[in-house]
Amino acid sequence: MDSFSSPSSGSPPKLSTDDIMTQLRTQLEQAYAEEFLETVRGKCFDKCITKPGSSLSGSESSCISRCIDRYMEATGIIGKALFNQRH
Amino acid sequence: MDPSALNSPELQNLLAQEKEKAMISEMISKLTSSCWDKCITGSPGSKFSSSEANCLTNCAQRYMDMSLVIMKRLHQ
Repeated sequence: MDSFSSPSSGSPPKLSTDDIMTQLRTQLEQAYAEEFLETVRGKCFDKCITKPGSSLSGSESSCISRCIDRYMEATGIIGKALFNQRH
Repeated sequence: MDPSALNSPELQNLLAQEKEKAMISEMISKLTSSCWDKCITGSPGSKFSSSEANCLTNCAQRYMDMSLVIMKRLHQ
């Protein structure tokens, strides 16, 4: 057997540490984004859609928009509060 | 892949760092959710009132205080 794998030989490519870490970080970011979306959906639905009508009203839409902005802002405030004050 | 690559100290070290970052991210995520529920009681405005913003900051800091209290208690 020669030392080069042919495509049909079935042996897997060698993954470098960089490859592994890049894949891991990409997947983590995707997972965080999905989790964040799910949380924001829940919070803003509770706050803004109090009496579901036959379509989204203008005030419901503005509420949702403000809600998303405030929730992102809240995330920043919490992050700062945790890491600016070390006990 | 070459199984021995998984044991490299370099990779283990990088994985440990990512794990810590993930734990911190998760804590911020859960705490934001709880503190939002505690502090943002009305309809979201176009900015936070100062009492809402202070409540959020206090919420995170009191959580840390509580965490310390719990650790001390459990180590007695």
